[in-house]
Amino acid sequence: MQGIIRTIRDGSGFDILLLGLALLYLIIFSAFPIIYNIIMSLQTVDMFTLTSFNRPFVGLQNYYDIFSQPVARTIFWNTVKFVVLSIVFQLSIGFGLALFFQQDFPGASYLRGLFLAGWIMPALVVGAIWKWLFAGDFGVINYVLTSLGIADDRIFWLSDPNVALYAVIIANIWLGIPFNMILLSVGLASIPRDVYEAAELDGAGAFERFRSITLPLMRAQLGAVISLGVIFTLQQFDLIAALTQGGPADSSNVAQYWSWQFSFQTYEISLGSAVSVLMIIFVIVVAAVYVRSTRHEHSY
Amino acid sequence: MKRYVLLILGLAMTAIYLFPLYWMYLTALKSSTEIFQYPPTFWPSDTQWNFLEVWKSRDMGRYIWNSLLIATGVTILATTLGTGCAYVLSRVRNVWIEIALFAILMMQVLPSSLMVTPIFVMFNQIGLLASPRIAVILAQTAKVLPLYIVLCRATFVQVPRELEEAALVDGSSRIGAFFHIMLPLARNGILVTSVLIFLQSFGEYVYARSLIAKNELQTATVGLQTFMGPNANDWNGIMTYAAIYVTPILIVFMLLQRRIVSGLTAGALK
Repeated sequence: MQGIIRTIRDGSGFDILLLGLALLYLIIFSAFPIIYNIIMSLQTVDMFTLTSFNRPFVGLQNYYDIFSQPVARTIFWNTVKFVVLSIVFQLSIGFGLALFFQQDFPGASYLRGLFLAGWIMPALVVGAIWKWLFAGDFGVINYVLTSLGIADDRIFWLSDPNVALYAVIIANIWLGIPFNMILLSVGLASIPRDVYEAAELDGAGAFERFRSITLPLMRAQLGAVISLGVIFTLQQFDLIAALTQGGPADSSNVAQYWSWQFSFQTYEISLGSAVSVLMIIFVIVVAAVYVRSTRHEHSY
Repeated sequence: MKRYVLLILGLAMTAIYLFPLYWMYLTALKSSTEIFQYPPTFWPSDTQWNFLEVWKSRDMGRYIWNSLLIATGVTILATTLGTGCAYVLSRVRNVWIEIALFAILMMQVLPSSLMVTPIFVMFNQIGLLASPRIAVILAQTAKVLPLYIVLCRATFVQVPRELEEAALVDGSSRIGAFFHIMLPLARNGILVTSVLIFLQSFGEYVYARSLIAKNELQTATVGLQTFMGPNANDWNGIMTYAAIYVTPILIVFMLLQRRIVSGLTAGALK
């Protein structure tokens, strides 16, 4: 007993205790739910078996049921579109802004900081604001588009099944721009200035310098930002809940929202866990690639 | 000259980006007839100050109180569990630590909307849903703890090892050195990271919506969502609610902006 107290006070027991507490917490509230999720996805879990510990085992039936749902195809492609389009635009706009604010002018870093206001706001509030911006009859976006002559008529952003998904994507791009911009700015700042100066002396134009210096030197950063983008986009739930709730008729539904709908709206909990298991596996694979790549870059 | 052209361009881009925020405040200040004017006005013609009304009629005090309670609980739990863990991860290096760090980085990315299904069933079975706010605190802590550890670890890495070793040579115990040397030196990083997870938990939605059944225990995000309902047209009130809710977040953020940015980028890229 004395020995245990001494090692906690003054030895490696101290390290093990500090590390162990946090890890134990994460095992109980993160790792165990994942395993439990996998088990539930192989059982029938609904309102009747919710509290029971002894549920019927159905094998891969739930997975089969998800894929045989008629909307599964729509939701799969919606999720792909949601992730790819969000990332392409977040990244290119974020990169453009990072390059712009990298230039030397008064207030550059202050203005860049203001962009982060979009990132710190609760996504549900951002969704509420965009819902109002997108409003069909009195929305300011429709007003701007029609008065600039870009759109002939009002677009019913959130109730037209052909555009609802794009409305959600636009709002998500807005949310993601600051994060992309800040991370890429850090990368840009770490490129030594004299590399550019040398290239300029050799007669390389602005575009040539971007292509042959900035892009190659930013490769690691871009990789990290893209994988973080995939992860964050697949976490996006609040925005969809505020804007369209997956509708109309699942036209803007994506996998993470679909999973939640199964569990909390139709109470087909085992279907919800099956979708959730597939998505968690995907997210973890992306995260593993990301972590490996960043740890190779900075082996400290 | 060129610098001022750039400044004007920069201001224009920032203004376009922040337009949604401007529109929120503007709608909150407009009268309920003015918001349905078409073409819309870009400056309120008849400014209304209905903040107090919305606060009372939507019972915002209770919602915000629940959000604060949950955010505070999460922050206390995460800092208590995470700080020591971050310290050990920054000091000890072996295969096991590498594995632990990798696992923590993986747990950082789990989306709440996917984790909520097993957490709901599990909490239901052990009876935790009877105290739903505690359930949300526990679930949300699991969500933010890995991020807290990663960011805090980056702070501890920057504290020179020699300072701790000197204290140990002087006869201080490990616990003593941790509390008297390491914690004070890493204080700023710990504080900023705590503020960050506090703000994140203050805006939490998925767990509150899914684990809390009673309306009087709900958070401000869920309150806003119910306000928006299916046929919402009180946009004036909704934007007032949103403005009341996010203004403190924005103020805290603007005050700590520089520190949060540097902490965040250190954690994400190193």
